[in-house]
Amino acid sequence: MGGPMRQRLITLRQTIAVGQRFATGPVMGRFLMALREKTILAIRCPSCGRLQSPPREICAPCRVRNTEWVEVGPGGEMRMLEYVYYASPDPLSGETRETPYGAVGILLDGCRDEEVFWHLLNPADLDRVRMGIVIGDRVTRGSRLRPVWADARTGSISDIRYFELDEPPAPA
Amino acid sequence: MKKNRNVGIVGVGQSVYSSHREEVNQPEMIHEAVVEALEMAGITMAEVDCVVHGNMELFEMVHQPDLWHTLGTGAWGKESLRVTTGGTTGATLAAAADHLVASGLHDVVLAIGFEKLQEGHTTGGITNMADPLWGRQLQTGALTGMTAAQMIEEFGAERAKAAAMAYRILMDANAMKNPKAHRRLGLRPDQAEELAANSPALVGELRMIHMCSQSDGACAMIFASEEKARQLCAQPAWIEDHVTAHREEMFCLFGNAPVLTTHRHCARKLFARNGIRDPRREIDLFEMYDPSAWWGLDWLREFLLLEGDEHLRMVESGAIAMDGDFPVNPSGGVIASNPIGATAMVRVAEAALQIMGRAGGHQLPRPVRRALASGFGGTMWTVLFLLASDTERQAAA
Repeated sequence: MGGPMRQRLITLRQTIAVGQRFATGPVMGRFLMALREKTILAIRCPSCGRLQSPPREICAPCRVRNTEWVEVGPGGEMRMLEYVYYASPDPLSGETRETPYGAVGILLDGCRDEEVFWHLLNPADLDRVRMGIVIGDRVTRGSRLRPVWADARTGSISDIRYFELDEPPAPA
Repeated sequence: MKKNRNVGIVGVGQSVYSSHREEVNQPEMIHEAVVEALEMAGITMAEVDCVVHGNMELFEMVHQPDLWHTLGTGAWGKESLRVTTGGTTGATLAAAADHLVASGLHDVVLAIGFEKLQEGHTTGGITNMADPLWGRQLQTGALTGMTAAQMIEEFGAERAKAAAMAYRILMDANAMKNPKAHRRLGLRPDQAEELAANSPALVGELRMIHMCSQSDGACAMIFASEEKARQLCAQPAWIEDHVTAHREEMFCLFGNAPVLTTHRHCARKLFARNGIRDPRREIDLFEMYDPSAWWGLDWLREFLLLEGDEHLRMVESGAIAMDGDFPVNPSGGVIASNPIGATAMVRVAEAALQIMGRAGGHQLPRPVRRALASGFGGTMWTVLFLLASDTERQAAA
């Protein structure tokens, strides 16, 4: 026990795994039920007319309750592509995702302006798609995408496996 | 802002920022910042009325860390508040402390922001901020390639990429002057192309070299009523105003219609309320929450209400360098040091140090009369602060 006291660098390793159950509420619940029937629903604000999908109970800017249900898509134009190389964990499973993968924003048919739907891209299409973008008056159209439905649908985000290219691939 | 009474920042303390602070536990790391802040203010805990504490709990997964941290904060028996607003936590801590003193409830408030990112998982934590009913599986943490994609579309790949690297290298030059900064790489302008080509890709054209660090560290600040501040400090940094704004939680930003960013919204409101017509001339310094070189570059346009390519020209001409017309992040910014729960507070703290003339090696060569500091968090949440010196306030009176 003699001699000068030296600091020992000890770190404690721990892992927390938490099972969770989230209530969807009736609005999100109706949307998720419709996915089981291969239908994508949006909800319209009675004040400003904007669509939201996934649907929200309230239009936050207008502070009014959304009431009108509309079927949108299921195809649309790709307006956002996150071409992800970083191997982040899938928070639903804890597994490290295969990379690269694509998170996409799709302007589903019937939607406009900021009404972009958020999902994943078929990894095989990552290098075959073109992202639509608007800079001032300059408009570049994005690739057409369509959903690929899961065989067993339970009313969740994974009822759509991903979106895939719905047109001849862009010239290289 | 209508204030019941003026509030001055009289003390700032920061731990050293590093990727690994394994030689100290959380309370010990926070203690470093608290001691430094108290010393600068020339007070002891006996004179502190209230302690405000915050971080992002999802990172370390410690509930009520303020209880454990009482050992390092000295908060035993003190009135206290805990604030946790994601990436903006640090700036919200400063806003809360300002409210507590301005209201007259307390004369002296100690605010503390911290994070020990090595003790958790950063991207995992951020991903769990998304709406659990839909977005968790889709969110890519704080990593996005969309800003790069938009800038490349607007300005061409060559110019946009060169400007992002110029921003990155300028920030590193600043970090080299700040001994507490985490990443001090000594990058040279002639390395830009090689760095961009060899740095690992994260998302799209966002590469590792562009992205902020994951740091361990703590920041502490002392806020005092005008009467107390004048007793304690020759040159307090006065809190003129601050604005907080957020949108909905979803990322519906990439359609056909231009979206008003929370940054531009906050800047318009802050400048209108304080009679600022030309922010680049009327403000001496900006400490910006810049999570990546792409965001830092793009957000200059938003915060300064610029149009076209003016923000690119500010970077290309070196106007944002320490000796430029409008210095940005003399501290090295978030790209250099990012202990997340402290990060947004560090912006306010560094702006305050510049006004107080206490920034040390990265003190600007000319007096800072008015400074801007921003915080940012998910998703699309902005806090924007305006600080001023006595000289500025006398001129305005």
